Amino acid sequence: MKIFLLFFSAIFVNNFVLARFLGICPFLGVSKRLETATGMGIAVTFVMTVSAAISWFLDKLLISTGLEFLRTIVFILVIASFVQFVELFLKKTSPDLYEALGIFLPLITTNCAILGMVLLNSLMKLSFVEAIFHALGSGLGFALALVIFAGIREKLDLYDLPESFKGTAIALITAGLLSLAFMGFQGMVKL
Amino acid sequence: MEVLYSTLLLAILGFGFGTFLAYSAQKFKVEEDPRVKMIVNVLPGINCGACGFAGCEAYAKAIVKGQAEINRCLPGRPQGVEEKIKKILEEYKNDAS
Repeated sequence: MKIFLLFFSAIFVNNFVLARFLGICPFLGVSKRLETATGMGIAVTFVMTVSAAISWFLDKLLISTGLEFLRTIVFILVIASFVQFVELFLKKTSPDLYEALGIFLPLITTNCAILGMVLLNSLMKLSFVEAIFHALGSGLGFALALVIFAGIREKLDLYDLPESFKGTAIALITAGLLSLAFMGFQGMVKL
Repeated sequence: MEVLYSTLLLAILGFGFGTFLAYSAQKFKVEEDPRVKMIVNVLPGINCGACGFAGCEAYAKAIVKGQAEINRCLPGRPQGVEEKIKKILEEYKNDAS
């Protein structure tokens, strides 16, 4: 039961972008087109899940040796390595997506949503399976927010906006409204 | 003792991830046109952007694709970069990808 609660709360209730306000940089940067948004969502979900699995073991190791203060640097090492791996993999398998994501692919490394998720896993003292599901849910929640936002932004391009609102300004306002909409889920899950 | 342990742990982790990445870099190697590398070696390598591209490598790629003229490199002009690029392109024309 707790697994499902964690999974769905990470997607809807505690959505990383729209409720915890983590990972805003790729959220605004890669959401101009639906394709790149989907690709980014998948990449982030993959990195999140793998990082959560590996850092769970490392977290246990750190606790058993009494080196908890190394948590942050070790987790960043894990995340950075896997982002590099995803980059190599994408370069080989889909060069178009690699070109489209551009600088935002290496920027997953410093995406605070991932580090936040991993640190939350160790703060909430989750078991291994729970941590995996939490990571999967967080990644999917990130992807969901990104895809919804990209869809809205693609439509916004067709509207006759005032000149001063075009581009990032209206995107920020839209993000705020979208976040407000997701606030409707608040308090549904108590963990 | 703590210092030793932390140093050891980070060293081992770094080495492990480094090995893994080196292995995957070999495994997922992307075949590139060899001419790109040659042209990059000829170009000054200061990424000044005078040619209108993001850097020397981008310019080299554009030359190989035939999207750019070979006389765009301003800082390389005194060293005769243009002639060198011409030579490379002529020499390896027959194995065009």
